[in-house]
Amino acid sequence: MAGRWQWFHRLGSPKWFYEKTTRWLPWLWGAMALFLTVGLVWALLFLPEDYQQGHTSRILVVHVAVAGTSLSFFPLMAVAGTVTLVWRMKLADMVAKNAAPLGAWFSFLTLATGSIWGSVSWGTWWEWTDSRLVSMLFQFFLLLGVISLRAAIENAETAARACALLSIVGCINVVVIKYSVDWWNTLHQPSSPISMEVGSPNGPEFWVATVVMIVAVYLFLAVSLILATRNEILQRESRAQWVRELALEAR
Amino acid sequence: MSGTNIGTAFLATLKRDLLISLKRRNDILNPFMFFIIVVSLFPIGVSPESAMLRQIAAGVIWIAVLLASMLSMDSLYRSDYEDGTLEQLLLSSVPLYLLVFAKNIAHWLVSGLPVILVSPLLAYMLALPSEGYMTLVASLLLGTPVVGMLGSIAVALTVGLGSRGLILAVITVPMSVPVLIFGTLAVQNALAGGSPLGYLALLGAMLALTISLAPLATAAALRISMN
Amino acid sequence: MLEVRALNCERNDRLLFRDLSFTLEAGQALQVKGGNGSGKTTLLRIICGLNDSYSGELFWHGAPLGERRDAFYAGLLYIGHRVAVNRVLTPLENLRWSSRLRNPADDGPINEALVHIGLAGHEDSPCHSLSAGQYQRVSLARLFLRGAGLWVLDEPFTTLDTHGVTLLENLVTRHTESGGAVLITTHHKLSLPGLRALTLGVAR
Repeated sequence: MAGRWQWFHRLGSPKWFYEKTTRWLPWLWGAMALFLTVGLVWALLFLPEDYQQGHTSRILVVHVAVAGTSLSFFPLMAVAGTVTLVWRMKLADMVAKNAAPLGAWFSFLTLATGSIWGSVSWGTWWEWTDSRLVSMLFQFFLLLGVISLRAAIENAETAARACALLSIVGCINVVVIKYSVDWWNTLHQPSSPISMEVGSPNGPEFWVATVVMIVAVYLFLAVSLILATRNEILQRESRAQWVRELALEAR
Repeated sequence: MSGTNIGTAFLATLKRDLLISLKRRNDILNPFMFFIIVVSLFPIGVSPESAMLRQIAAGVIWIAVLLASMLSMDSLYRSDYEDGTLEQLLLSSVPLYLLVFAKNIAHWLVSGLPVILVSPLLAYMLALPSEGYMTLVASLLLGTPVVGMLGSIAVALTVGLGSRGLILAVITVPMSVPVLIFGTLAVQNALAGGSPLGYLALLGAMLALTISLAPLATAAALRISMN
Repeated sequence: MLEVRALNCERNDRLLFRDLSFTLEAGQALQVKGGNGSGKTTLLRIICGLNDSYSGELFWHGAPLGERRDAFYAGLLYIGHRVAVNRVLTPLENLRWSSRLRNPADDGPINEALVHIGLAGHEDSPCHSLSAGQYQRVSLARLFLRGAGLWVLDEPFTTLDTHGVTLLENLVTRHTESGGAVLITTHHKLSLPGLRALTLGVAR
């Protein structure tokens, strides 16, 4: 076992993960606070007003960051699912289990921030001709499907593997949905008067703020996922010696 | 396991499922009636004007097909799970995905095909111009097996659960969106005087992808559910 | 024929059995005993590959079972708790399918098997019209039909009358005498020559 694959097997150990993340978490918290502060302050206070959209363009900084991050959930769950099915790694399922509700929240936030922005720029809260909103809506539905499947199956191991399989199928499906919805849209509305393109009118300062925000949101995702996974570890490993010792220490 | 044995097992499973459907006609008839009833609700609920109906006809028929297939799907593996037949399928030396595929074909023959056969009649009632009939039927021929096989994965994942009807729909309906999109686009394009072949080709590509992957996924799902 | 080495199984955080080892050779019959929930069915399902939540090793004719699954399935006849008989089909239709799942089969041997198992005259009535014992006999008719080396039978006696029990006992004896092996769970006291027993759940 020694050598190349050792890290991989160690990664499968909940205890190893718990101990490592205990050390990583303060750094992640710090980095997240830093990026979030810089990104938000920049976006809200220093970003110049857009000549067309006025102050509403500031919402986009958050919206784009959240939207970009929420796209990573199905790939993440599909990878974790593959690891669960092939190597039976329990940790992968603990991550996947918590990724699904988090992903649903992120998708919801994407839809919500998109709607808020749209209500000002497009004059409507919901616009079917924007393909990104529509495919995000269906990603949201698919994530709800994974969550309800998990909730419906009583046996934890069966639930883990069933959700793993569904995540892999769902990941392929999300890609197909995305392209077909894009196609559908360009056909329904060949020259869409309303578009969320955030290209040319916005200078580099907008993009830098967005990138900072994307990093901040990814860090937030990492922190939330790690915290949730640590909770899950403590619950599932509650009979293990090291968890008992941990509980005694905390007391 | 030789080729003839695989063929025998495949055909035997196909025949068995067709025979069961024949003996349990209600399982097939009810979703079919549901399909027709849903379609006939739209003129009442939306508008009886044929100008309005012809615009939504293809979409209405496609959506009704999706909903009806959710109903018929439920019986796909239920009795096989309850009486232990699934265990025997898993213990066969014939690859499980082939047997699953045989069951999918049998299910489509009794649930998909009748709906397709009656669809021109319903299209007529919804005032769909006659240029759209062939395309509608073709899109259903290519699309309904995709929906059926995607649903088969979801049924396999939920086969051991007590109350699974709604979960099945929550999982399967969003997955069927691309089929709905290209199915209705093909018909609309045909009505607009264009060629629907591009969309039908895309549906065909989806069918090919589904045939090659979905039975494998269903087989894996059955193994997981039976564990 | 079949060897089980150091098998451990946990279900819902409860240990079912630990370090379970046994072998089953051609010509032997092994009765798995134990109270309710002691893991008899789970053990049978693990051996058949229907359950993989275990640690330990299984061997089939000396080689790891996982590597020769096809050969194993070709030589296995499993009749589970749920007997794989569809209720709307007739016994004949059921057996036709389960035979052809393995090999091309004619109706001749199937009809014979139905006569042997005591279902003559019921070939064409739907299985839901049969009694529980007759229903179980439909599945047991498969024992006449396949040249499988290993029979794995989970509680095959539950609904059988005394005549049926004797019939099945004779079948098992004949199978072991002709070089087959049988793994069986039941609470019945079996009168079989050379029967070995494995009791689960005593260690706790």
